[in-house]
Amino acid sequence: MRKKKEKGLYLSDRPPLTPLKAVLLTISYILLFIYVFVILWPLAQIVFSSFNGSQDQYIRIGGTYEFSLKHFKYLFEETYFLNWVVNTIVIAVATALLTLLFVSFTGYAYSRYRFKGRKASLMAIMLIQTIPSFVGIVAYYTMHSIIAAVIPGFSRQMFLVLIYAGGGIASNTFILKGYIDSISTELDDAARIDGCGNLQVYRLIIMPIVRPMLAIIALWSFIGPFLDYMLPSILLSDPKQYTLATGLYTLITDVRNMHQPVFAAGGLLTALPIIILFIALQNQLVSGLASGAVKG
Amino acid sequence: MRYGTTIIDDIGNEHPRRNLRLAEMGVLEERLESEPKEKVAQIKSELKSLARGEHEYEKSLADMRAEEKAFLAKAPERKTAFEKTLTDSDAKIRKWSLEAMESAARVEFYEQHVELSYDYELLARTHRMMAEQLPEIASKRRQILDELNEVTDELERAKKEDQSQVMADFRQYREERLKKRNDEKAYLKKLYKEGQISSKAFANEKREKDLAASEDIRSRKQLLPIEMLTDRVRYLKHRLRQDEKQALTVLHSDIADLRRKTPIEISKRFPWVSYLTIPIPGLGQLILGQSVKSIFFFIGTLYAYLIAIPYALGRGNYRGQGLFGLISLAKDASRLDRSVIFMIEGVIAIILLMIAFLIFYQSYRDVHKNEQRMIKGIRINNWFETRTTASRSGFPYFASAPAALVTLFIVLLPIAVTVLISFTNYDPSHQSKFSWIGLANYKQIFLGQGIAGGPFWLITGWTVIWTLLATSLAIFIGFVLALLVNQDRIYGKRFFRTIYLLPWAVPAFITIMFFSIMFSPDGPLTNLLHQLTGQIINIKDSPWGTRIVLILLQGWLGSSYVFLLCTGILQSIPGDLYEAAKIDGATGFQQTRHITIPILLFQTAPLMIGQYTFNFNNFSIIYLFNGGGPFEPSKYGNLAGSSDLLISYIYKLTIEKQFQGIGAAITMIVSLVLIFFTWIGFSRSKSFREEKL
Amino acid sequence: MKIELNNIGKKYEGRENFTIRNIDLEIDDKDFCVILGPSGCGKSTLLRMIAGLTSITEGDLYFGGKRMNSVEPKDRDIAMVFQSYALYPHMTVYENMAFSLKMRKERKSVIHERVLEAAELLKITDYLYSKPSEISGGQRQRVALGRAIVRKAGVFLMDEPLSNLDAKLREHMRVELVRLHQSLDTTSIYVTHDQTEAMTMATKIVLLDQGKVQQVGPPTLFYEKPANLFVAGFIGSPTMNIFNGEIKEGNFHSLEEDFVIEPKESDRELLKPFEGKKVAMGIRSERFIAGEAEKNAINVKVDVIEMLGKEQLLYCQFPNGKECVISEPGYFEYAVDEDHNFHLDLDGLHFFDAETTERIN
Repeated sequence: MRKKKEKGLYLSDRPPLTPLKAVLLTISYILLFIYVFVILWPLAQIVFSSFNGSQDQYIRIGGTYEFSLKHFKYLFEETYFLNWVVNTIVIAVATALLTLLFVSFTGYAYSRYRFKGRKASLMAIMLIQTIPSFVGIVAYYTMHSIIAAVIPGFSRQMFLVLIYAGGGIASNTFILKGYIDSISTELDDAARIDGCGNLQVYRLIIMPIVRPMLAIIALWSFIGPFLDYMLPSILLSDPKQYTLATGLYTLITDVRNMHQPVFAAGGLLTALPIIILFIALQNQLVSGLASGAVKG
Repeated sequence: MRYGTTIIDDIGNEHPRRNLRLAEMGVLEERLESEPKEKVAQIKSELKSLARGEHEYEKSLADMRAEEKAFLAKAPERKTAFEKTLTDSDAKIRKWSLEAMESAARVEFYEQHVELSYDYELLARTHRMMAEQLPEIASKRRQILDELNEVTDELERAKKEDQSQVMADFRQYREERLKKRNDEKAYLKKLYKEGQISSKAFANEKREKDLAASEDIRSRKQLLPIEMLTDRVRYLKHRLRQDEKQALTVLHSDIADLRRKTPIEISKRFPWVSYLTIPIPGLGQLILGQSVKSIFFFIGTLYAYLIAIPYALGRGNYRGQGLFGLISLAKDASRLDRSVIFMIEGVIAIILLMIAFLIFYQSYRDVHKNEQRMIKGIRINNWFETRTTASRSGFPYFASAPAALVTLFIVLLPIAVTVLISFTNYDPSHQSKFSWIGLANYKQIFLGQGIAGGPFWLITGWTVIWTLLATSLAIFIGFVLALLVNQDRIYGKRFFRTIYLLPWAVPAFITIMFFSIMFSPDGPLTNLLHQLTGQIINIKDSPWGTRIVLILLQGWLGSSYVFLLCTGILQSIPGDLYEAAKIDGATGFQQTRHITIPILLFQTAPLMIGQYTFNFNNFSIIYLFNGGGPFEPSKYGNLAGSSDLLISYIYKLTIEKQFQGIGAAITMIVSLVLIFFTWIGFSRSKSFREEKL
Repeated sequence: MKIELNNIGKKYEGRENFTIRNIDLEIDDKDFCVILGPSGCGKSTLLRMIAGLTSITEGDLYFGGKRMNSVEPKDRDIAMVFQSYALYPHMTVYENMAFSLKMRKERKSVIHERVLEAAELLKITDYLYSKPSEISGGQRQRVALGRAIVRKAGVFLMDEPLSNLDAKLREHMRVELVRLHQSLDTTSIYVTHDQTEAMTMATKIVLLDQGKVQQVGPPTLFYEKPANLFVAGFIGSPTMNIFNGEIKEGNFHSLEEDFVIEPKESDRELLKPFEGKKVAMGIRSERFIAGEAEKNAINVKVDVIEMLGKEQLLYCQFPNGKECVISEPGYFEYAVDEDHNFHLDLDGLHFFDAETTERIN
């Protein structure tokens, strides 16, 4: 059912292009493509070097290129890469789940209930939110040994999960509270008349509606451990326990097992799923960040 | 407190006193104020004699108590008599019927004595309510039980009968219905192919047809005899449970309502129980008669005396000495004991004590409030009422308790420890044992003295330059890109957007590490620069080279987010704004200047403040790119490099070089500044203003 | 089901005063009772107390003779339609309507039957498997009604259900709601601030203001015999004209506008105790008769004319600037700035005690 274009008729809503505007437009395109190059060139280098079999230990440009998977082979066979992947995923999933568990309760309670100490604790939440997460680094290491003495099975990774999830409670509570606030309380009333109790109102009515926001919160809590270098580097000492960020770093700092192309290969494998995730969910992720206001 | 002649109930209605002794005292007390002075002594002596409690009223009350005791003692007799009249075999029905009959007997007894005391009035009315409602509940249960039995029998019979015919009918129906659905879907598909409906409508309609069909089939299946009867059995069983629960709740809350409306008279007029029981939460509740509630407070007591206080005194610690550890900091302890453990355990002790204190305070307040209410004439809650209020208004507390605990121990505890450490000489020579040194660390930092404090101002200066330049660059790039891409005439918007998103989507540590490789002495970019300029420029060895590359790199990394954010906002600017501007004669450039940019700036401002704070403590880029280097010992000493930010400096001081004391002090300064700035950004944000705190 | 409110009052936690208090009300079985009042008068609070969404501080609430104060909303045998419809956005129309029965663990065949029945009654069978976001405002309104209907509740509560619809649809739904009420045989309680809705739909109106019942009765009573000055001013469009004056020798003397009214005999009787006292007189716009008369006449200047077709509203001014509204048949000829004579229909006069604002005649 497409309409045929009739020649000679000016169909566009826009005024015709003047020469000056044409020049400006060309400049715009040139600038945009230059920046495309600026972005793609380094990223392309990562891809090339990871498949370049003619390099080992160091990355060079302009040298010979020979397609090979040997760096990937090395990555899987000679390093703890798989351990790191599993560690990171376990930590990330645990963080996301724990965060969701904490936050869905607090967000709902703060949005829907007026209770004594609500305002005071909301103020506290906002203050806590502004405190940068690195403040506690002096104490973490020692704290872990104390907790581990009380609870024998308490591993450093579990502690890491607690720190990630605990640190996110304040800001995520605030985000979720704001989102639930936007849902009419008449829905709660209707659900109550239909026979729901406190928890049922949340589980059957509110939670399905706030699922997009819960997904964003879960997603950010999940991505956090992938991107963080500092906390694992403080808490984890055994290379087998490392997360991806700390693990891959050993491939370029340690002179003994320095393998830059292997790092590129590992980086590529790590980045790919995250890139896909970001491209697919870019709008949600940006809105999640925007509603999270200004956590530094 | 004076007795007064009236008491009030929970709603605030006044009732005359029925305790004649207290009523007389109330009258006397009133007279004490109005009568001339001569009579005061006489009234006071009268009051005194009344206070001792030799009053006619007390005697009649005592008589009544004896009578009541005798009456209650006969309850088992009455029970056996009643039991003979019962025919129903169901245990619950028997129980309720017995209770109802006993209640009826009690109503008769108590009603004669209602004038004597409000307690008897309450008892009379409560039992009347039970005598009325319990038989109803019982008969309802009998009704459902009968129906249930009937349906169960029917189900048994149906199961024995041959169901093949009805099953066949059902199968046929299902096939027909599915066929109808498929026909409908085929028709839809035809419409879609012909372009009469959109793909979205097609998908939607298809989903609806599926739903309708499965719902129809499911409900048709419910009409099968066995299915139907099973469903009925399930429903009746549910009703059996639910109706009983509901009816009993109604009964209990009606009784609770009576309690609210019937006052209580006690001769106490000073809430001494609450003061005396402060040391033992739960005891006060027990004395006032709230036994179940007291159990919860007793658990609190156990916690306080078995966990919090012993821990604070040094029992059960991992290594430390509880609170005392904070003072001694393991000074006289064994060689292996470390001060920092003592400090942390001291802080834990404080937190545990605070929780304990909260329990003590809550218990005291609870008892105090209830006691004062009782003195006024208000009955305190029974367990049913307490439970109902707790499940209604207690929900938010239960819901946020786990999160609060984790925040307390995982977030606040480390912060407190950091604050404390900043006042100690925790450094390489005092790793195991350190001591309090007051503000010496802060003094060193501000004066720029010592090996650790020396480079502080240099680093602060670079941190400020870095924050401003790197963030502004990223914002500028992101801004310009967003404006360029979102011009009317640009084609391939999706393409540009996807590419420009990449620096944000690739985990930053990977990009940073890769750039670090490329700028290393023999790295690809170093070689490229060499080829271009003919000179060997080793970026990582030159302070300003490193700094400039870092800023450019952050511009590269940070522009994506700004770009995405601005794109989102640009797309939400209503088009009529531009049309209005066009009509007013604005050129394209003027539109951008006077509409687009102000809106962008206005809406992104709070988020951009976030970008500045983010870069202020952007640890990864500094540490992973060049480890904070290159090192310039003449200017920075041995601890820091020339591209170190405060945050990476703190990391090096506390984690690598073991100057934890000074590190903590710098952390404190940085945090306070950051809190200040984020707070400004936050207080301007929408969510904050709407909350109107 | 008969509903009785016995001295009902509500005090919110943390507030000094009762929001509403001393509400005594009887709503008969199958009544369509409209609770009317300006915003903030406590009408929603009252409805929420009846629904059980807000606890009752004092007084008793009976449904069919049974005390309901402490019964959970779900067990009260009520259905409620909300202003925003409150449809669950993540469920289909069918699921929305089935939800309450499902929560009650009702038998599946019964659920299906009732949902279909309600859908047919409301003509929404075609949208049963759509989400609320996919249907129009009017259809959503029907779904909200359907959700209430499937419960087969004894009491139907509605909280300004039509305020989100456009004028045309609202008019249509008013009729439909009344029809529905009649076919369902339930007691309905309807909260609104719109007097047209109240006058057209109710069998009984309860007018609330500042937490107190101002008047209870059938719609005609409100128009013909408003119980006090507030009711007189609230009901009727255009608003009733009110004049302040004094009773001298049995006649009403306007204080500022300088005219005298001789009330009819029955009113004179009732006005006797007010001899020499301040009294307010009200008259509706259609009770002015055009033309001169010896007594009970006024002379005013026409300020603005609103032509409505079959009638016209004349916004007139007395010499002292006081305005009054007069309605006359549309074919009479008036022009702005003309002076005209009118006299008052003595049967259409309302007298109120200026002090207590209560009705006298």
